[in-house]
Amino acid sequence: MTEISSSFGARKPFVIGGVDYSIPIYIILGLVVSVLVWFVFGFKYVFPSSISERYDFVLMINNGETWLHTHAKSYTRAASNFVGYYLEQLEMFLWFKPWPVITLFLVLPALHYGGLRLALFTLFGIMFWGMMDMWDPAMSTLALMGISVLFSGILGVILGIFCSQNDALEASVRPILDTMQTMPSFVYLLPAIVFFGIGGPPAAMAIIIYAMPPVVRLTNLGIRQVPDTTIEVAESFGSSRLQILFKVQIPQALPSIMLGINQTIMMALGLAVLAVFIGAGGLGEEVYKALKRLKVGWSVEGGICIVFMAIIFDRLSLAMSKPKDSDMLADNTEMRFRLLPQRLARIGTAILFEKIIDLIWTSIASLGHVLTYFIAAVFEKLISLVNRDVALSVSVWLRNSTFLIMSIGVIFGVMAWDTWVIEIGSFPRDWQFTIRKPIDEAVHYLTVNPNFYAFTTWLKETIFYYILNPLETFFTGLPWFYVLAGFAFISYFSAGKWFALVAFCLLFFTGLSGVWLLTMETLAAILASVAVCVIIGLPLGIFAAYNKTVDQIIRPVLDTMQTMPAFVYLIPVLYFFGGNRVTAVIATVIYALPPMVRMTNLGLRELPKQINEVSDSFGSTEIQSLIKVKLPMASPSIMLGVNQAVIMALAMQVITPLIAGEGLGKEVFRAMETADTGRGLIAGIGIVLLAILLDRLTQAWTANQRKALGL
Amino acid sequence: MNLKTRIVSTLVAGLVAMGFAGSASSGGMLKVPVPDWTGGAVTCEVYHYILENEMGYKVKRITMPSGPGVAEGERAGDIDFHCESWPSYSTTNDIYISEWGGDGSIIKLGDVGVIGTSSYYIPSYLLQANGGPITNNPKIADMNDHVDLFKGMDTGDKGRLLGCPTPAWECSDQERLDLLGINFKAIELGSGTAHWAELKAACERKEPFIAYAWTPHWIFAVCDMVSVELPAFDDNKTWPATGWDVDITYNAGRPGMETEHPKVVQLLRTANLTNNQQAGMIKAIDIDGRDIEEVVAEWMEANRDIWSSWVPD
Repeated sequence: MTEISSSFGARKPFVIGGVDYSIPIYIILGLVVSVLVWFVFGFKYVFPSSISERYDFVLMINNGETWLHTHAKSYTRAASNFVGYYLEQLEMFLWFKPWPVITLFLVLPALHYGGLRLALFTLFGIMFWGMMDMWDPAMSTLALMGISVLFSGILGVILGIFCSQNDALEASVRPILDTMQTMPSFVYLLPAIVFFGIGGPPAAMAIIIYAMPPVVRLTNLGIRQVPDTTIEVAESFGSSRLQILFKVQIPQALPSIMLGINQTIMMALGLAVLAVFIGAGGLGEEVYKALKRLKVGWSVEGGICIVFMAIIFDRLSLAMSKPKDSDMLADNTEMRFRLLPQRLARIGTAILFEKIIDLIWTSIASLGHVLTYFIAAVFEKLISLVNRDVALSVSVWLRNSTFLIMSIGVIFGVMAWDTWVIEIGSFPRDWQFTIRKPIDEAVHYLTVNPNFYAFTTWLKETIFYYILNPLETFFTGLPWFYVLAGFAFISYFSAGKWFALVAFCLLFFTGLSGVWLLTMETLAAILASVAVCVIIGLPLGIFAAYNKTVDQIIRPVLDTMQTMPAFVYLIPVLYFFGGNRVTAVIATVIYALPPMVRMTNLGLRELPKQINEVSDSFGSTEIQSLIKVKLPMASPSIMLGVNQAVIMALAMQVITPLIAGEGLGKEVFRAMETADTGRGLIAGIGIVLLAILLDRLTQAWTANQRKALGL
Repeated sequence: MNLKTRIVSTLVAGLVAMGFAGSASSGGMLKVPVPDWTGGAVTCEVYHYILENEMGYKVKRITMPSGPGVAEGERAGDIDFHCESWPSYSTTNDIYISEWGGDGSIIKLGDVGVIGTSSYYIPSYLLQANGGPITNNPKIADMNDHVDLFKGMDTGDKGRLLGCPTPAWECSDQERLDLLGINFKAIELGSGTAHWAELKAACERKEPFIAYAWTPHWIFAVCDMVSVELPAFDDNKTWPATGWDVDITYNAGRPGMETEHPKVVQLLRTANLTNNQQAGMIKAIDIDGRDIEEVVAEWMEANRDIWSSWVPD
């Protein structure tokens, strides 16, 4: 980081009236030079094939794969059978147990950790699977998720603990994790068939690998962030290193580990949908079948089921990672609402409603306590015949886990009811309904509506002529050595000389492996998508920061955009915009927009309140204070949004070839179609390298902004 | 309860939950992927009906994209056979099937009977018969008179032709257009799904388009199209300056099938489904929106005389 301060801090030739214009001026200068270079040398210097033909990486990889086929297959198959056994057990359990039991398994933890609101939301989400006639596929996905997250979590935590103890190991694992997270899954889904088979088990194996990085990272981070003073205290008590690790560091790192598990769950769900490509079944299968037959309504139903699953898992795991807040409220005059929004606390009917809920809640809770005390007393008496101390501790434990015992009781009660009284069976058919028809009709209406089509055509042509096409012509036309030098130069000024070297090597490798032009096409598509994200997301984020209602409306919309499988909206986007590269950009924007809006909103909301007072006292208008003070202050957060948008746009590059996207993603698809692992891997590595390059650059800019603002 | 015990107890509860389960097993089970286009799915379901109702097999239907994934699964022994391969679009024949120079990790198991034809098509609302500008029996050379009609944002001064969505199908659309002197640019949409979606939307908006398509296909049930005449196929002599050869569709599977399930192989070899028979069922599924297994079962019950001779003794 010393380079940054020297390059930005030491000499400032462009300081006009006390304001430092050096960065914009450098950027404009760079652009002018680049455009000049483009006009003089454009399309004259493509990456020389004499260099790239020398190294046939594709052939090397394919030979390696053939070797692995014969030598590693039996081991990988054994691993997959091991995972497959548990997967099948769990799937059978979820399929054949009566639906209320499965519902209770998810709703009760939601009630315990997240309260009544989360429990009701969870209940609705689960019922929705049944109501859409997607209970069985949902159970399959649930089983796949459960097993994958279990193994991913266990392996990830272990690896994370090892990383936290050894700097060298951490340094060597980090690039592997980067690659695991950004390598397009289509690259390894096909080879996975040979090594792991068809169906759920290979999907579970692929998900375990893909979803592990966040747990490893956050376990490592959480353990490393335990303050030195805490460890010193433990050392002074004479604890050994292992004791400190297991009694002090890991318990303190648990919230961080749980956050890692939360991210792992979200990534696992993303891949569980794509795993239909190796026959994994589940909700992804529904969406895929619908996609193949262009049944938009059907795929939306499947998509909503997936969105509900994602939001339930997200909120539940977040609730579990937070310490349970106490029931005390600072302001005692107000009642703590369990269901309705707290801001209704002054309305009489709302209070009455909540009082009824509270009455039911407390009476069930006291009934539970009474029953638990009774059970605890029985156990205490029974065990005390053998050992008094054990009996006492068992009794204490039982009394403290009312909720767990009551939950087990309720679940066994339902099971017993199902077995001896009335067979509950599968989700009742009478409760099912379908929203396919109205959705299909709405999509058809928009497709043929001339006004809407005029709007989409205008949008499409604007993006094509003013953003995408210029960017693509520019990047593919620039001499390769100029692009290389340019990126090295930018990297040098933003992240230091070492990263400049890394950036140079990464880009040179894409040339060496023969995918230079494809990389430039992908780069152009990503920059175009991120530009559109900023144009739409920045104002939307500002709007949401100023207006609470807007914020509350767009929040679930953003959640949906992020968790809805892209397969669902590819077809409508194609209907509305036609098949061309802009369609790919628009699909990318849908996926990558949420973090941009969220981070802008967050950045503005988190500014200290005093800023308003200060700028008011100078008599500036709200617009002035926004542009001159607030946006610059929030710029690190906004840059972080850009960073995430870039990464998500990259992830989308392997989906958009389905609707006319170009570049590296298309190469991955073509390789998959011809079962050419080497070719796919090379293109995949290209995407990984771009991800590393763009991620580090945007992160460095964020860090520089923070530094400049003295944060 | 602190966080650690909470997590541990959740994990334990999960493991205990797994213990409740039973396990499933079965004999005479065949694993067959469902082709991801309706025609193929119908063909497969016809076989499955006979296998399950007449021959005592149980078929596990796997949903996954048709393509190399299926081939890899057959090579590894996880999939038994697949139905209705189209030679033009089986991009990996030269890797797997010995008839095309592959390594023999998959073998051909008889022709389906369905014969596919590929060509370029325009919607019938563009024809003079329906008040459009194009002659009623269009030839590919006529298209040069209508370049302006077919122009697109991404094709500059040329007409826009929706070619095969992916180069892996080896349609050589641009080469064909150039060799025939047609001033059009061939566009690839990346996937079959996108190709049909674009056709369907353009047809609903009554926009002009010229696109690659094949029969039998459900798209003809939602969009009335006529083929544009291309020079006849001449044994690859002047390819790609000609139209396509017909596609003689075939079944294929893993080599072990011949010894392990000879009767299944016999069924796949003798069964003979025609374009017309398949087309009726495709319409019932894609246009009337009925369930595929139901449609096939109904057809099988009504047409026992057609297929009773296919069943091996």
